[in-house]
This record gives sequence, structure tokens and C-alpha cells, in this order.
Amino acid sequence: MTFDPGFLCKRFAVVLVTLVSSSAFAADVPADHAAQMARSTELFKNHVRGLLTAHCLKCHGGEKTKGEFDLSTREGLLKGGEQGPAVIVGKPQESLLVRLIRHEDEPNMPEDAAKLSDEAIEQISAWIASGAAYDKPLVDTAEAFTAKTVSAKDRQFWSFQPLSRPTVPVVKNETWCRTSIDHFVLARLENKDLAANGPVDRRKLIRRAYFDLIGLPPTVVEVEAFLSDQSSDAYDRLIDRLLASPHYGERWARHWLDLARFAESHGYEQDYDRPSAYHYRDFIIRALNEDMPYDRFVKLQLAGDEFEPENNLALMATGFLGAGTHATQITANQVEKERYDELDDMAATVGTAMLGLTVGCARCHDHKYDPIPQADYYRLVSTFTTTVRSEMELDFHPERYLEAKATFDRDHAPRVEALAKFEQEQLPSRFDGWLAQDAKAVAPKWLIADVQSTKSDGGATFTRQEDGSYLASEKNAGHDVYTFVVPTKQTMITAVRIDALAHESLPKHGPGRAPNGNFALSDFQLWAAPAGSPAPGAPVKLANANASFEQKDLPVAAAIDDGKTTAWAIDPQVGKDHAASFELEAPIKSEQGTTLTFILKFENNTGHNLGRVRLSLSGAAKPVGLDGEQQPEEKIAQVNIAIATPAAERNEKHRDVLLAWFRSHDADWKKLDGAVQDHLKQAPKPELTKVMVATEGLPAIRLHTQGADFFEKTFYLKRGDLNQKLGEAPQSFLQVLMNAPDREKHWQAPPPEGWRTSYRRRALANWITDSEAGAGNLLARVMVNRVWQHHIGRGIVATPSDFGASGERPTHPELLDYLAGQLIDGGWRLKDIHKQIMTSAVYVQSTEADPRRAGLDPENSLLWHRSRQRLEAEVIRDAMLAASGQLDERMYGPGTLDATHRRRSIYFTVKRSQLVPSMTLFDAPDSLQGLGQRAATIIAPQALAMLNSQQAQDAAKSLAKQLLPSDGATIEHAVTRGFLCTLARPADAEELAESVTFIKRATALYQSAGKSDATELSLADFCQVLLGLNEFIYID
Amino acid sequence: MKLSHLFASPPSTYASRRQFLQQAGSGCGMLALAALLEQQGLLSSTAGAASNDALLNPMAPRPAHFDAKAKNVIWLFMNGGPSQVDTWDYKPELEKRDGQDLPGFDKNTGFFTEQVGPLMKSPFKFQQHGQTGTWASEIFPNLAKHVDDMAFIYSCFTKTNNHSPALFEINTGMSRMGFPCMGAWVTYGLGTVNQNLPGFITMYDTLGRGLPKGHAQNWGAGFLPGVFQGTALNAQGAPINNLYRRADMTDEQQLAQLDLLRRLNKHQPQAQEADLAARIESFELAYRMQMAAPEALNIDSEPAHIRQLYGIDDPKCTHFAKQVLTARRLVERGVRFVQIYSGGMENERSWDGHANIGQNHTQFAGETDVPIAGLLTDLKQRGLLESTLVICNGEFGRLPIVQKGGTGRDHNPHAFTTWLAGGGAKAGARYGQTDEIGHKAVTDRVSINDLHATILHLLGIDHERLTYRSNGRDFRLTDVAGRVVKGVVA
Repeated sequence: MTFDPGFLCKRFAVVLVTLVSSSAFAADVPADHAAQMARSTELFKNHVRGLLTAHCLKCHGGEKTKGEFDLSTREGLLKGGEQGPAVIVGKPQESLLVRLIRHEDEPNMPEDAAKLSDEAIEQISAWIASGAAYDKPLVDTAEAFTAKTVSAKDRQFWSFQPLSRPTVPVVKNETWCRTSIDHFVLARLENKDLAANGPVDRRKLIRRAYFDLIGLPPTVVEVEAFLSDQSSDAYDRLIDRLLASPHYGERWARHWLDLARFAESHGYEQDYDRPSAYHYRDFIIRALNEDMPYDRFVKLQLAGDEFEPENNLALMATGFLGAGTHATQITANQVEKERYDELDDMAATVGTAMLGLTVGCARCHDHKYDPIPQADYYRLVSTFTTTVRSEMELDFHPERYLEAKATFDRDHAPRVEALAKFEQEQLPSRFDGWLAQDAKAVAPKWLIADVQSTKSDGGATFTRQEDGSYLASEKNAGHDVYTFVVPTKQTMITAVRIDALAHESLPKHGPGRAPNGNFALSDFQLWAAPAGSPAPGAPVKLANANASFEQKDLPVAAAIDDGKTTAWAIDPQVGKDHAASFELEAPIKSEQGTTLTFILKFENNTGHNLGRVRLSLSGAAKPVGLDGEQQPEEKIAQVNIAIATPAAERNEKHRDVLLAWFRSHDADWKKLDGAVQDHLKQAPKPELTKVMVATEGLPAIRLHTQGADFFEKTFYLKRGDLNQKLGEAPQSFLQVLMNAPDREKHWQAPPPEGWRTSYRRRALANWITDSEAGAGNLLARVMVNRVWQHHIGRGIVATPSDFGASGERPTHPELLDYLAGQLIDGGWRLKDIHKQIMTSAVYVQSTEADPRRAGLDPENSLLWHRSRQRLEAEVIRDAMLAASGQLDERMYGPGTLDATHRRRSIYFTVKRSQLVPSMTLFDAPDSLQGLGQRAATIIAPQALAMLNSQQAQDAAKSLAKQLLPSDGATIEHAVTRGFLCTLARPADAEELAESVTFIKRATALYQSAGKSDATELSLADFCQVLLGLNEFIYID
Repeated sequence: MKLSHLFASPPSTYASRRQFLQQAGSGCGMLALAALLEQQGLLSSTAGAASNDALLNPMAPRPAHFDAKAKNVIWLFMNGGPSQVDTWDYKPELEKRDGQDLPGFDKNTGFFTEQVGPLMKSPFKFQQHGQTGTWASEIFPNLAKHVDDMAFIYSCFTKTNNHSPALFEINTGMSRMGFPCMGAWVTYGLGTVNQNLPGFITMYDTLGRGLPKGHAQNWGAGFLPGVFQGTALNAQGAPINNLYRRADMTDEQQLAQLDLLRRLNKHQPQAQEADLAARIESFELAYRMQMAAPEALNIDSEPAHIRQLYGIDDPKCTHFAKQVLTARRLVERGVRFVQIYSGGMENERSWDGHANIGQNHTQFAGETDVPIAGLLTDLKQRGLLESTLVICNGEFGRLPIVQKGGTGRDHNPHAFTTWLAGGGAKAGARYGQTDEIGHKAVTDRVSINDLHATILHLLGIDHERLTYRSNGRDFRLTDVAGRVVKGVVA
């Protein structure tokens, strides 16, 4: 993970300089050059290579390039570093490198090591004198780089071993033990002569279980029910109930979202929202609630689109890979670097979250502690080469659509039948009659132009619509100029027309592209060239502008005046079709036709470009108004050709054209066809919801990138440097966790013919969940450790996302393997692991500590007592809402940034630039990198929030309302009830007395201040104290 | 009501960390962090009130690795990328070559790759100032009087040519998003003196011109515990979240409430255990913060001559002057790290002079020249300059060529100027050089890692020893690089 992107820019500069200097060198070749170089090469092979490799390479080209100096190649040597060229070929005494190793200049080299022997210095000098030749670079060729293997010894590290399947240890104090887990823990305690605590009282136990599993406090009724349930399995059934609660998913999803660096915005420059990203959060909640086997849970997150492409849940799961940050504005020279950063984010997050391995540390060099060669990193990264963040439209209620469609089809059939009947029974005779008598050349007033080419200076894209209009999309520039070239065969043109049409894709349905649906046509120019002459030809003078509607002070005449600041606009008549006509001062008459160029300028108001435009022309006598029939020029031409063709010579196509023309002017047909078309408009559509996915073969969510979204290949990058590509990296996995003779092929399979993804992620998912030959054992160990950590307060491995050499060793290795085995054997069901842990004596024990035992195990790593846990940010807020009766239990769907909402905190939108203060205050993560363990800080601003925040005040007020004495109830009663609601226990005598004294005194103070609701206010102040108590957020 | 007892309980002391751990009993709290600090020599493992305090309180002041002059930092951040050749890095050659093309220029250097114009001279006049004869642009008439107190680094460079990556880099050392910023690292290492105020405060533009690109991540704590993130003073309402008690609650009433809270908390059998005790204390700190913070932020209490010194009554710089004066009040009261952003989001809302460098820099220099000069004068006259390191720079520099279509300059990652003053920075030092037209740093180049290493050094921190383990790796502000620029250290 020691990636230094800057070094890429520097390297780039290096290449340029080298080219220049080597050509200069080539121009000045001495006569005995070849012989000299041969001698130099010999010196290099026999002496210098060894010297440079032993004394220089590590800092200058091997692991590092200190001083920007890399002598691993001759080019690097000649180019030198920060201090300029290191070597002047042929002149050792003037070469900086020689001066430094002779200790004639600072810094003396090698740094912090003995001076080289005189003989060595002499050899290097002679080598430089004769040409400083290399037979080959000092370090890794591609083969050496990719051939690195992991040794048998490396594989022996504990976390890479197969599960040990331990037998349950025998203990002395059998009676303390409730489950097998307890035997593992107690065996170690007894070894140290330590006794564990007995069970905590039942009030504390139920509160602990509730917060652990569902993240909410038990209600007063639930506490009483548990206390009065004397059956021996009361606690077991309580755990079952909680595991079945939908709140379980909401609680535990948050732990996973921390690991998945889940957020709903891109970060960086603009931090644009990802409004369809919440589906990933919903997937996690649903998957946990339905106890999805953990191996499938992992598979779907890596490759749900490849395993179950028809399953919405599987597609939602792929949000995992895309949850990381993405630069919203990528400049041309950063495109490739940003892509490798993004690939790194995916690989590193898979590594830490799923395997507890810091894979990302092998990006620039072999992993410093773990057996992960750098080549393994690039082979793993290669999995994601073509994976992009994309959006799919999914129907979450297909049954609703099918039902609506059936109803619609039923209603639609009679309309279609009526039309068909008319067309069969009536239309033919009418048509024949017309053909015989009335078929004459037609000339509608307005001919819709047949556009030859379109252009937008601002970068908009035009798409032709069926009605001959052009719809603008993509970029809406501040100002734009549209140019349409229109060839016409009309022999007479007296006027032109611009239709500004509404469309559902436009803001407020248009017709403009401004946020309010308006446009502002500041200038309209018409140019004309005789057919065959180069366009645009000469400008045409326009007059008598006429519009369907004109915004106040923005008349259509302004489009053909000289002013740039004036324009035609239509606000507030947005969402409707508009039109404007312009007469030509001098009509165009031309037998061979004309090429018209329409230039529409929108330079009056930012982004006020036209959204959908249609152009027409007319040969009608002036004045030419907007009235009259409008027909496509092309179609009219066809109709007239068909009419002009003698009846006997008319073919099928002629008849079709004529029939279409005729019936569109037949009132009865129009009515019946209109009924069909109108009804079709009401046809139901699937309720499609956009879902952010990570997939291949679909368009990437594109922001401001001056380059590609991805590259077709992933390369091995020496030192993580884009300028040092060592060939393409084919997909594979971490060697140390591959135990199949056919290696990666064991998990790979080609995709079905024609399928859009590469199946590489599917192969990764197969490997990572394979407990026989792949990474499945480690996957299981890491996950049971996370579950243990959240229940017990610390993991069996205390570094939950680092199971490598620099992480902690397991305190109870056999227990870890036992639990991992239980997970795999139990079909990877997590709820079973929860239950095993929560029903153990280890879990239910009390928090009491004493100096003797603390002296033997101060950090409680052997678990002789329960460690008190502070609730996380989300749970603190949720508990306040729940205890005060304010919690809105609606699940799923889009989140919000509104601090006053009352759903659970997991439904806060995670926007990277606007993290919710009440969450970050209590150590919620920033969602930039995966996090396996949160801090639990104690700082004054948290207390300020408890004292003064609106959230705390609202909760206190709401709780007070529930306690307010009514019908003779006393303050004492309210206090007792307050304790029960917040702490699941009644107040003791002293607490009761203190509280009552406070409330009475506060009431008096408020009364003397003239407050009419003094009791309510003082009770609220008391409730705020309850919510601020240590006991409320530190769970014993 | 007698109130003294509320704050009377002294923090318990422990003979050793081990004993502390025993006392800590059932909780976890800050232990992991304390252990880490201890490992790095930032937290003494021997007895002493300070270290015990630090075990409980992550913000408690801690001694540095070695003695150093700087105790506090005020970082004046000229957001958007001020142009080195129009401010401090005078280039007569650029004037001579005005209008000529720059041969071999890589059009991908700046942001607008299709708007590459010829070299453009500075629209400003330069003059030499002070004993050091330092060149300064005419847009800094007041700051120019302080050049002898400043140490200039003319050869800074950065890795990226766009705002947010460059902002992340100069703030966190990494151009990728998600790493702790310098203020967070410094408070993590040293804590802060005044427990009634946040240890690390940032201020951004109050004229509604937006936050710097990348927003609050620029003062984020990354993977460090959230306590170390910068507190951005709100431009409207309470300057610090939840600072004021609700309007209808009196001081007496709140004290009574706190008293009940304390009594009920202490009534718990394990109340003396470390984390629970610390939390009890945190309420008392919060109560004090309610008074201390408004007092510290109340610049109205400053006498007229001081307000004038900072230019508060000059409408063009009122907003920035208030922030700079606030910064002085904060460091005076023991706030460790203050960062102020001049200018807002980008383009003409900040120093990002793409369109017209003359107009843009005249405006933003006009907003900052008097306040910053006032700050230096004021710190000096109060004897605070010795212990306060003042830093001034932006996220990158600007190109010596014109951006076609206007008279502005595009982004330049290859060169920008940083000046330091006070806090052990070497007054009058002139370090590094750019080429003759100010395009690239060429002599004694200073990377962001180097700059960070130097600033930490001035605070007494060895940048290689200030580490934090996240996802299995020990991270540093300076990543795997960084060297202290001795040339600017007194």
C-alpha cells in the first residue's frame, strides 16, 4: 500500500529527458567505441553488477529510488537524479557517482555504511571510463518478477493452515460450562489459575442481548416477560426471537458496511451522489435477516451478476465492489493512475474485509510481512480489469406489472378489434372511391424538413424522433449553437418554422433544457445555397416572426433582431409544445432545390438551450401563419409520386403510401385509430428502479473523465509504476492460499457464449469460498472472529482485518478453528454461530473485575470477565429514539441526510463530504477505507451533544411525555418508569430520592420563571439525564 | 446551589500503565490508542499526571519527540492555487519572453489541455523589500513589510494537477481520498493544551463561495480516531455544534441537571473505572466549553487598534480578518492547530485564476494582505510568533503561460511557493528555485512529503516515528518519503 502516485509524473519526465540525452551522446561516438563497450560490459558482468547490486540498488532502483535516482538500467544511470546526471561516460573523475563513493562530495555513499574498497572504486571508475555498459538491467526482468513463488515455510504460518478440527478440551469446573466454547476458554483460564465470572443478572442480560443482536433496548414489557419466564430455556428462546427480528439485519449490516467502506457518493471534487447505491445496504440487511449462508453472501458481493443474473438481490450485492471512492474529475494525465487506484481499492477491500489480509500492501513491492509477491497482487487485481460501476433498472415487483399488463390487454383488445373491423369492412371501398375520383397532388402548408446533418457547438447529442424532431441530450452547455443542414426540393420557399416541443426526458418536460423547462433563442439565422453549391451559401433575411407564445419581454422577434441579449422564451408555458414561424423577405425560387442551413443560437441565458426541435418550411403565400397542416416533406413527395403514377402502373408500395395518406384524412378511421393510440399511452410499464451495480459490459457511471473508464488489460507494474509495465497480468489468486494442482484453473470457467462479463469475478468468488483447496478456511476464520469480536468486545485475533504476520496471534487458536469449522459444517449459517456464542457461559458472565485477576491478565485476553462495551454511534441514537418512543421502524429504501428523521441510523445517507455530525462524533467511520474495529473515544463534544443537541432534547421531551404523571400518579412513579424505559431496571431508593428532589426543585425553578409547563420541562430535564447516564450507553 | 463540588474531583492517578489497566477494569476506552502513543515515545510509560491523563483523554497535551519552538500552527491556505510568478517568485525572464511559445510544453500539464497559450508576463510590478531584498508582487504591500521574518520555499511541487487530489495531497500527504490530514496527525501526536476548546480548528469562506474541493475530507481524521478531525467553525449559527444550551434553560438549571447526572453516574458501583470516570469528566469539560468557546471566539472584545491592525473595518477583507484574528485568539488560548481557507470552491470564487490572473489575484490579495500582515505584527508584539508556526501556501502553483481565451493561468503542479514564519522557521531563509520562467521547481525541490516532514520537525516530531496502524499497516503523514528541509529551520 506504499503507493506513491507522484513518482509516476516524475518518471514520465525522466523518459523524455533520457531520449534527448542519449541521442546527444550518439552523435559523438569515438572510433574504438565497440571495443571500449565490450571491455566495459566485461567489467560490469565480473565486478560492477555485483557492487551496484550489493551497495546501491536497494535505495536506487530496487525497493526505492531515493533522490529520484534509479541505476537499475543504463538509461536511469545516465539520467541521474535530483542532483543531475550521476555519470559522465568516459569521465569517471567528473562523475557525481564516483565523487560520492570516493567521499569527495556529500552525501557520502553508500549512505550509513562503510566506504567501498579502493579496488571496488577503481573497478567502477574503469567501467565508467570505458562506457558504463550494462549487459542487462540490474533487476527483475518480467520473468523474475512473475516467477516468485511462496515457500513451504511461508505456508506454515498459522492462518494459512487448514482448520485444525480440535477436540473440545476437558476442564475442572464442568459446572460453569454451558457450551463447547466454554471448555476452550475455561481450559486456558484454569491453566493460569483464573476463575471466570458467573452469569450477570437477568435485567442486564436481556439488555446486553438486545443491544448486541438488534441494537435496540428492550421495552418495559419485554423485560418483564423475560423476568417472569422461569422456564429453563427462556434465554435460548429470547436469542431465537432476537435472531428472527428484522432489526437483527439492521444492526449487523452496519458492521459489514464498515468493512465495505459503504457510502452513497463518489467523493473527491464534487462528491456527486450515488442515489442508487442504497440497494447494496438493503441487500446486506435482507441477506443477514434471511440467514443467507456466508459463502453465498460473499459470492454474490463479488459476482452476483455472474452467479445469478436474474436475481435482483444478487445484482444489488455487487454494490460491494463499487462502494469505494471515485474521482469525479479526472484529468487526461491521471486517467490510468486513477483506474489502478480504483482496482486497488477493490482488491484491497476484498483482502481486508473477507480474508483479513492486507493485499494492498503488495502493490509497489512484495508484501513486507506476508507471503504475497507483488505479482500475486497484480494477478488478483486482474480479476477486476473490466469491472465498472454501472446502473441497472430492475423491477422489484414484476407481479404487479404482469397483473396490470393483463388488465390492460383485456381493455385494449376491443379497441384494436373495432379498428380492424373498420379497416376490413369500410375502408377499402372508401379508399377505392377516393382513388377513382379525388386523388390529386397534395400540398400541405408546412413541410417538415428532412435534416441532413446536425451540430451542437456545446457538445449536445441529437437523436432523431419519429415525428422528424431532434431531441438534445448529454451535455447542456452554458451557451450553445445548433446548426441543422436541410436540403429541400421545394421550388418555392416563403417561410420557415421552428417547433419547440415538449418531451418527458427534459426538465419540467421542456421544451427547453434549463432547470425550469425554458429555453431562450437569442438568435436565429437562415442561410441558403442552391442545391449542389457549397453550404451554407448566403444569409436569408427574415421578417414577420410569429410565435405560439412569448414570454414577457422575450418576444420571438428578438430572435431575428441584432441584439445578443434579447431572445425568444416561453416561461411559464413550459411542458407544452411551442412554435415560431418566420417569413423570408424575398421568397426563394429554385427549380433544382435549395440547401438551407438553420443556425439557432442560445447565448442569452446559461443552459437555456432548446431540448427538442423540429424544422419546417412553407411555400404558401404570405402572410404565412402557424396554422395549417404539417407533414414531412419526404412523405409528401412519396404521396405525390404515387398519385402521379397512372393507376395501372401503381405497385404495392404506391398503394401503401396512398392508403396511409388517405386513411389519415378519414374522420372515422382517425377516431378509431386515435382510440387505440390514446389507450396505448396508458399501457402499464414495469416499475423500474435504478440499482447501482458493479459489473462488466454495461456502460460505466461516467463523471468528468478525460479518458477511458477502464483499460482492457491489467499489467504487472514494477514498483507500482505505470511507466514500468512488465507484461500483462493474467488472473490468478494468492498462491499461499491455492492448493489445487491446476492452480487458478481449478476455479476458472469461461462464460457462456455471448454473455457480457468475463467470469473472472466468479472464479475469484469460487476460490475465496473454497474450503477444500482455496481460501475458504481463512474466510471462515476471519468471519467467526468478527462475530466473536462484536459479541465479546475483542476478537480472538485482536486485529480483525489483519490475520497476517504483523497482526495479532489468536488468543484461543483452537476455539477459532472450532468456530470456523462450526460455520462451514453448519452450511455457513451465521445465526447459528451467534447463538453458540451468546448461549455460552463466557458471554453471559458479569463484568466484575478484581485486582488479583487483573494482575494476572490485565487486558482480559483470557476472558475472565465480560468487557463492558460502549454502544456505537448508530445504536446510541437508535436507543434514544426507541427508549423515548420516537423510533420509526420502517425498513429499507432511500436514506436521508435530514438529521431529524426518526428511522434507524443505518438509513442516514452516507455522503462522503457531509458525514452526519451526530454519527462521526461517536466514532462512526468516514467510509473511505474498510474498517474492522471502531474506536470508542470519550470527548467533551459528545457530552455537549447530550446536553444541548436537538436530538437529545427531542428524545428527552418525548420520553417525559410518556412518564408524565396522570390520574394521581406520582413523580416517584414517573422516575421509576423512566429508569425502566432507559435502563431496564427500577431506580434504587437513593436514585429515586435524588431524582425526585431534582425534579421538584427544577419544577419550582421553572415555575418561578413563569413557565406554565414547569412539570413537563423538569421531567424532560430529568429524562435527558437518564439518556446521558453512563449506564445508558455503556453496556455491562 | 453550591457548585464547586462539581469540578472538584481531581483525576485519579495511577502508578503505572499496568496499574492503570487494572483500574480500567471492565472497559476498553482509549487503551489501544494510549499503547500506541506510548510505543512512539509520545506518551511516557512512567508515572505522572500528564500521562495518566492521556490514557483517558486522547486530547491531553503530550511532549514532543524532541524540544522544538513551535507549539501551535496557523496555516493560511490560499485555496485554488495562487500563482507563484505573480506573488513571490519574481521572474524577469518571463517578462522578456512575454508572448513567446514555450517549446516542448506538455499540454496535459494543466487542466484545460486545449487552451494552451504563450508565455505571459505578470501583470504586477515587483519590488525588493527588507534587509533580505526579497522580491514581492505589488499585491502584497503590507505583507512585503514582513519578508525578513519569513522563510520562503520557492521550489515546492505536487503530484497532481487538479484541485481535490492536490488538496488531499497537501493536507494528508496522499492524493487519494481517505487519509488523516496534518492537523489530525499533529493533535494525535501532541494533544492540545486547552481542553475547553477543540484542539484543531478550521475556518472556511464565510461569504458563501463554497468549501474547498473535497470539502470536509480536507480536515478529516481518516483512519485516526474521529477526535482528531478538525472542527470547522460553522459560518452561521453556533460556531461549534451544540455549543449553546437551549434558550429557556438557565445556567442554574443546567448545573442542577449536571449535578444529578454526576450523582447518578457515581452511584454506579464501577463508576471509578477509567472509561466511566472519563465520561463523567467529559460532561464537566463540556460545560466549561460552553463558556470558553464563545469567549475565545468573541473578537468584539478586541480593542479598536487591534481590529484595525487586522483590517476588520475594511469591507474587502472583513471576513478574512475576523478569521485571522480568531486564529490568534485560539492559539493564544492553547489550541494546537488552526487552518484558514482563503477563497471558496474554485474559479473566480478562489485563487483559481483561470480567466484573469490580474483581477483574480488583486481581489484575493486584497482580501488577505492586511489581515495576514496584521497577524504577523500581532503575534510578534505578543511574543507568540516564537511558538506559533505560520504557514502560507496553496494546493499547487500556476503556469507561466496564458490560458487561451483570457488572461488567466491554468494549474501547475511543478512549482509553487510556500512561506513560513515564526515557530522556529528560519527568518530570512530563501530555499530552492524554479527555472527562469517559474514553470518548474529545479533546484532543491521540495515535495509535499518534505514539507510535511519539515513542519512536523518544527513541532518537535520525527515524521518517521509518528505512525498509526490501520488495516495492518503503519501509516505516516509522510508515507514512505519526506526529508526535513533544514534550510528553513532556524
